[in-house]
Amino acid sequence: MTIKFAELNIGEAIPSYTANPITRTDLVRYAGASGDFNPLHHDNTFVEVFGMKRVIAHGMLIMGIAGEAVTALVDNKNLRKFSVRFAGMTEPADFNDFENTKKRATITVSGKVVNKFEENGEKRVKCDIVAKDALGSTKLSGFFIAAV
Amino acid sequence: MADKSKLGYEFPAHTFAVEKGKIVEFAMAVAQKDSKDKIKPIYADAEAAKKAGYPGIVIPPTFPTCLMVSTGGGLMEIVQTLGINLGRLLHAEEDYEYFGSICEGDTISGRMKVVDMYDKEKKGRPGKFMEFTTLETEVRNQRGELVLKARSTMVER
Repeated sequence: MTIKFAELNIGEAIPSYTANPITRTDLVRYAGASGDFNPLHHDNTFVEVFGMKRVIAHGMLIMGIAGEAVTALVDNKNLRKFSVRFAGMTEPADFNDFENTKKRATITVSGKVVNKFEENGEKRVKCDIVAKDALGSTKLSGFFIAAV
Repeated sequence: MADKSKLGYEFPAHTFAVEKGKIVEFAMAVAQKDSKDKIKPIYADAEAAKKAGYPGIVIPPTFPTCLMVSTGGGLMEIVQTLGINLGRLLHAEEDYEYFGSICEGDTISGRMKVVDMYDKEKKGRPGKFMEFTTLETEVRNQRGELVLKARSTMVER
């Protein structure tokens, strides 16, 4: 499952990960699982007060998806740092217009190796990551550091 | 508008029992799956987790948000305590530093602190500011071992 970072050079891409188009059901499931019940993520009558057309995904769901991408490459126990900056909101796909709205809700996480170094007596790798929707809009950028 | 007098404020110490069902539920949510049979076995099956080198099923990397979100009476009360306008609130940054594994059966605790509050002028809108609040939590397990440092930055746009 994990990849051999020894074979990757600085600047080389890491395998990307594409999640399923995010639906409102995903947002409700994440709200329940995380305990983040900000109505911004499920209640249209709330977001309309603030001039928004739709609910938006939790930033932490997008980071959670990025976490799926990261742990597809490194074991959880080898992860040392995971840091992101949120760059844009993600609207879920509409159930009644799925084909036309799924691109804005389909997140792909990609990245590249930016450093290889030793710290605390172990070999570590640092990778920059970015999560974008299928229209090319950036949702978050950041990095992870893992022992390899 | 965030209440700048809250800089340095510490929320009451908060303890969170890491239950197996909660890990499964969280892992399903970030994997967008509706069954525990469709997530990675290390998040649902103790035997598989042990084979992978953990004492029991292990948390996904962003699971610690559950501890922070349930601090101080929950997110809505955190926001009230800090004087943040919920309608303008967005998450700006999230940062985790891991020092040890967190697994089912662990009890994790921490005190969330307000470590920074600052304004940034909006691009192209002089005199209009975005307000940032940074919260930091050192998380220890039931043995007192430091397992995680978490840092969250919220913004009122």
